[in-house]
Amino acid sequence: MVGNKAVAYAVKLARANLIAAYPITPQTTIVEYLSEFVASGELPAEFVTVEGEITAQLVCLSGSIAGARAFTATSGEGLLYMSHALHHTARYWAPVVMAVANRSVRTMQPDHTDLLAQRETGWIQLYCENNQEVLDTGIMAYKIAEDDRVRLPVAFALDGYVLSFTAEPVSIPEQEKVDGFLKPFKSKYPVLPETWDAELEEYKKHWQQGKGINEPFTPFAGDENFSHLTMVSWGKGHDLQWRWRAHQEAMMRAKKVIKEVDEEYGRLFGRSYGGLLEEYRCEDAEAVIVVMGTLASTSRVAVDNLRKQGKRVGLVKLKSYRPFPSEEMQDIAKRVKAIGVIDRNISLGEGGIVYGSIRSALYDQVEKPKVLGYYAGLAGREVRVRDIENATEKTLKAIGSGVMDSTATWIGG
Amino acid sequence: MIEIRFHGRGGQGAVTAVKILASAIHLEGKFTQAIPMYGTERRGAPVVAFCRIDDKRIRERDLVHEPDIVVVLDPLLNRSVDVTEGLKAGGLVIVNYPGNIKDTGLAGNFKVAAVDATKIALDVIGRPITNTAILGAFAKVTGLVKLESLAEAVNGELPSRIIASNVETMKRAYEATTAPANASGFRKTDVVKRASTQPLISYSRVVSDWRISHPVIDKNACVGCKRCWVYCPETAISLVDGKAEINYDYCKGCGICNEECLVGAIKMEREEV
Repeated sequence: MVGNKAVAYAVKLARANLIAAYPITPQTTIVEYLSEFVASGELPAEFVTVEGEITAQLVCLSGSIAGARAFTATSGEGLLYMSHALHHTARYWAPVVMAVANRSVRTMQPDHTDLLAQRETGWIQLYCENNQEVLDTGIMAYKIAEDDRVRLPVAFALDGYVLSFTAEPVSIPEQEKVDGFLKPFKSKYPVLPETWDAELEEYKKHWQQGKGINEPFTPFAGDENFSHLTMVSWGKGHDLQWRWRAHQEAMMRAKKVIKEVDEEYGRLFGRSYGGLLEEYRCEDAEAVIVVMGTLASTSRVAVDNLRKQGKRVGLVKLKSYRPFPSEEMQDIAKRVKAIGVIDRNISLGEGGIVYGSIRSALYDQVEKPKVLGYYAGLAGREVRVRDIENATEKTLKAIGSGVMDSTATWIGG
Repeated sequence: MIEIRFHGRGGQGAVTAVKILASAIHLEGKFTQAIPMYGTERRGAPVVAFCRIDDKRIRERDLVHEPDIVVVLDPLLNRSVDVTEGLKAGGLVIVNYPGNIKDTGLAGNFKVAAVDATKIALDVIGRPITNTAILGAFAKVTGLVKLESLAEAVNGELPSRIIASNVETMKRAYEATTAPANASGFRKTDVVKRASTQPLISYSRVVSDWRISHPVIDKNACVGCKRCWVYCPETAISLVDGKAEINYDYCKGCGICNEECLVGAIKMEREEV
């Protein structure tokens, strides 16, 4: 099945009961497949047709607060149009799940700049390399989003065209097993609790006593480990900053939850994806390349080819960009001598977004490996196996050379 | 791994063909991948699609550049597109072609098999959609997939009302296809890479080689109502002395004028190959 159909199956298996979206290539067929499921009665859900992406997101937000398991999907320009509503959903801690079929803005072909440009909205961001992973991630996304320690919206990405329209075999899990994995969703606080004023004061104290994120804050009105503080529009003026602080705390907690959910999925369904990131042939590797999305799939071939030539290289597939797996990257950095980051995105005026994040994560390390940056596949430019091989070999050759060069290399133009 | 490239024109079903093929071969226990190449969709414009077959899960995400097999859904396409580009030495081309296999215009170190897919499709389905016919030929020539698997895979990809006719089309093409011939001694048609291979608006592009048939206007029957002029998507029709006239450089042969003419003044005639 094509990637877009894999998304639709994930949403159906997760028993989402509120779907709202607006068409945009390459996302459109996701909701077309879902509308067929709803029309045929296979998926009992409310399908809301809307006049634009902002409304799609706000329908999901309000529905989620009211207790619906909400889903939307978009791409490129549609995602940008939805942008401010993404902040709303995140600030309300509504566990909405969204599929993003990556589309380069101003063309239709894929790169990751559309979703990475939303990295400050407070959504969890997961990237996929094949259609099976797309289906599995769609189901896991709800489990992560609705975990009481997280309760944040999750976006999972599939490269437009490369996955969205490419057909390949996908195994569909049994509904009963998915039901056992993913319990029905219940909104925590469909109405504003009376205690929220007092809770805010407690929360401030929690921080002022220096407890920070290492000790979970247990609100007296809520469940253990869960604060609904950010769900409500509390505070005025400088008080609002507390909301961001709590959000950051939840994001950091999400790291552990993503790993747990991935492990549990692996136990039940036999497929897991390494949690926040996956290492491929990194044992004894001198140089590794770091990629996201479908580049990981192509990179596996490149790494295998170079290993056959006796070159000690490996691949790190970044699955979660938000939260960013800084600790895991630091651990890898201790073991290797050079890291090559291939960005299918660009922050114009600075450079590759993942490249920047990785260098930032490694800054405190005393012994730092070389970190080289590459751009590839922007605006959907085809990335071939030999492109990745070249980048990997260049990274390998950088070991032992003098100065660290932070100028990234353009692959293929 | 076996890599296949499909060449066709928008509307002939190349994308559906790779999906049916990939599903059918997967039904027989192999791993497959079907990659469509979408651009600005436009009926008649040259399109490509790819299929990979392997015994293990396919990880490559780039396009197919050195195919083992090339499938061509249109008899005239090789005049403007180099369909054998990158084809592996000793590879195979399966082409929709009505005449003698020596005259396909394809020549080189590969084998060619031909079937008149357009005629079979017109006879059975009633429309010149050649994808299922060419898949029947593919099954016969390559032996990589059974006709029954293709028939089963069609179920998931086509609307139920046209399944029976498409399965019948496959069978007829399967029977009509003969063994491939070595193409090294054949006469080669020059490929003229024209701007018309780009799916752009035709008022600046010659699209005459996109046609499988062309409209002919009966000037006596034409009442000059301008209906065809309004509906022509290529602005290839003008009114001269109160009668419709077609500029064949810009006509892609879609037949919309024929559909829209209320007085039956337009007839479609098959293009000579």
